[in-house]
Amino acid sequence: MNIFSEIYGTYFRITAKLLEKELTDEKTVRETVMREGFKDTLLFLPQKLIPGSESTGLFKRTEDGKLQRITKNAPVKLLTGIQKSWLKAKLADPRIRLFMDEDVISALNEKLGNIPPLYREEQFRYTDRFADSDDYHDEEYISHFRTALKAVKRRSIVYIDFISGHGNHMRGIFVLLKLEYSPKNDKFRAYCYLLRNGRIKSSGIINIGRITEITDTGRVFRTPVSIDEYFQSRKCSEPAVIRVTTERSGVERFMMEFAAYEKHTVRDTQTGEYTVELWYDEQDETEVLIRLLSFGPVIEIMGPAHLREQARQRIRKQYEYIKNSDMNSTLEES
Amino acid sequence: MAGFSELIKNFGKTRDYIRDFFIYGCKVRSDFDRKSLRTYSDEKRRVESWMGDYMRYDDSVHGRSVSISVDSGHIPENPLYNAFYSKSFTDNDMLLHFLLTDILSDGEYRALKDIVDELNSEYSMLFDEQTVRNKLKEYTQEGLVLSEKRGKTLYYSLCGDRADEYISHFEVLDDALKYFSEVQHFGVIGNSILKTAGMDNDLFFIKHNYIIHTLEDILIPEILSGMEEKRYITLQTFSAKKRSDSDDNGREAQVVPMQILVSVQTGRQYLAAYIPAVKRFSSFRLDYIKTIKKSTVCENYDELKAKYEKNISRCFGVSFGTRRETGTVTPMKITFCVDEDKEPYIIERLNREKRCCTLEKIEENLYTLTADVFDPNEIMHWAKTFIGRIVNIEGGTSDIIQRFYNDIIRMEEMYGGDSDEHIQ
Repeated sequence: MNIFSEIYGTYFRITAKLLEKELTDEKTVRETVMREGFKDTLLFLPQKLIPGSESTGLFKRTEDGKLQRITKNAPVKLLTGIQKSWLKAKLADPRIRLFMDEDVISALNEKLGNIPPLYREEQFRYTDRFADSDDYHDEEYISHFRTALKAVKRRSIVYIDFISGHGNHMRGIFVLLKLEYSPKNDKFRAYCYLLRNGRIKSSGIINIGRITEITDTGRVFRTPVSIDEYFQSRKCSEPAVIRVTTERSGVERFMMEFAAYEKHTVRDTQTGEYTVELWYDEQDETEVLIRLLSFGPVIEIMGPAHLREQARQRIRKQYEYIKNSDMNSTLEES
Repeated sequence: MAGFSELIKNFGKTRDYIRDFFIYGCKVRSDFDRKSLRTYSDEKRRVESWMGDYMRYDDSVHGRSVSISVDSGHIPENPLYNAFYSKSFTDNDMLLHFLLTDILSDGEYRALKDIVDELNSEYSMLFDEQTVRNKLKEYTQEGLVLSEKRGKTLYYSLCGDRADEYISHFEVLDDALKYFSEVQHFGVIGNSILKTAGMDNDLFFIKHNYIIHTLEDILIPEILSGMEEKRYITLQTFSAKKRSDSDDNGREAQVVPMQILVSVQTGRQYLAAYIPAVKRFSSFRLDYIKTIKKSTVCENYDELKAKYEKNISRCFGVSFGTRRETGTVTPMKITFCVDEDKEPYIIERLNREKRCCTLEKIEENLYTLTADVFDPNEIMHWAKTFIGRIVNIEGGTSDIIQRFYNDIIRMEEMYGGDSDEHIQ
């Protein structure tokens, strides 16, 4: 069993879609390939489907120029062994309970029968995941998660009572756009807009684990919202500009660790150093700053000024500790 | 570019290229010196074809640089899954796939001969028995087709499990699929189920999302299978320094696989394994592993696993240390200064991020973290996130403290501090 197989491939998937109807036409074939294929698929797939010298023969041309499939039925959407085995493994994941009740999990388990799970959780270990993950066994958490998920799906307006990251009790009327999961924090959050008098007042993120009450008001937020605009509203106004040196495999380590961020990189081919512009959510600025500092002198924060100043202040404080601490004498002795 | 195809036969080669584009962010054609320019152009075109909008071009004096820029926290689907969906195939593969599933979709069992006859009579397609037999055998292994022996003859039927029926029958399975298709482990498989059912993830985004991990999903099943069967496995690896060497065929190592170690902060994944040749545990970066091959059964697997469990509990990250070189290290103690009234969140941070270390309050506003780990070096990258709070470090090795000390002096100079002769 291998997921790298043509049966899961984009070409087979597009072909299956086109075979759903008994009759189609060249225009639909090309449009579907354009829409669902890779950038160059239009150069390769249509000729396999449209009758001609390179055709596989899955369609034949009718008298009125349409394309008729040679199969009798619409293609079946089969689950393969590896897909079922993956599903079986997920049923043992505590997070499955966020979605399904025990009876559904049992029924699905039974349906999958003696299919072995693709993996067991203990075969993996997260080396640096934070310890205060959400409690996926907690009934109240599950209930809050499900209400939030429903609200995202229906775009319904919800009342939420929660404790903020600074420990303050907050409440308000919100519309939830999407749910976010972080494998580092092992937590779920909801992207939301705070509403006042039925209008968007500000954007925010609420940790599901910090919600003390969430109630669906029964009303739906009908104003169109764009997730791009939401992200734009939270994005830093200026990117962090970082000089990354080659010392201690700095480039490789930095690029790998910051791979998740939108960035623009320029390399100086003479020195091998990179200058990276890094965009981040303004709320995450401290997280970005401390992660940058952890690279020590291998990188330098060139800007913006306020970020560099924050780094400078922390370094100055640390420098003072070093000057005055036992570390200095320990080193002198060694 | 005659002969170009956006589909691929060999995932390994492509994995290497995507990784370079993705990680380094910018590459110019001349950097890809380990392969011919023709190969470079083909690989680049393929990556462009799969990645679509995520490719970014910058003209520089050194040539056009190509990069993949993805804000992976704000995308509904990992674009690198496309590499998995690009396996090349023959026309016969395609034809047989749709015809065999069409013939067998009624759930009836048929003998090979009847299937071949039906291909001819109902679809006017002539196939020899061997070709059809091979395809049916392959599909039986993939779990698409069921086979049953009646007398001396094998009969085939289509497996009854269908993605759309599962989704409509099991409430909220679709939501679960949307979530699990974007997270570890093997999200690509969940995504393939969604695709089969004609659905997309429209509910979840993933923060701290290392989408590159998916490229290693190609190796992991074989490793897991090695673990299950308690076997040795043979790894072919390439070292970071030799990556640009086109003649580098890598090194082979025979190891006993123990666990996959996933870092959710550095973007790296490792195989933790026992190396019989040197009688110690070690971790191998998965992105530096080319191939995995299962070998013979390891008779003392359980004994090694028990030892591993003991050892891994003393790793801060993935390093089992190099005791033979450094000798025994004393536990490392790092003392942090925290304003308890104004900064309770720092204490929370220490607690949630300390891993196997212990944290104790030693006096008002001072907290000491004790790390009795194999390789104290690993702690320092993390400890530096607390720059501005570290009042003391003791234990570990003097090299570690020296480096930290030097780093702070260099940073102080770098960020505009005054030089101070007192600590030079």
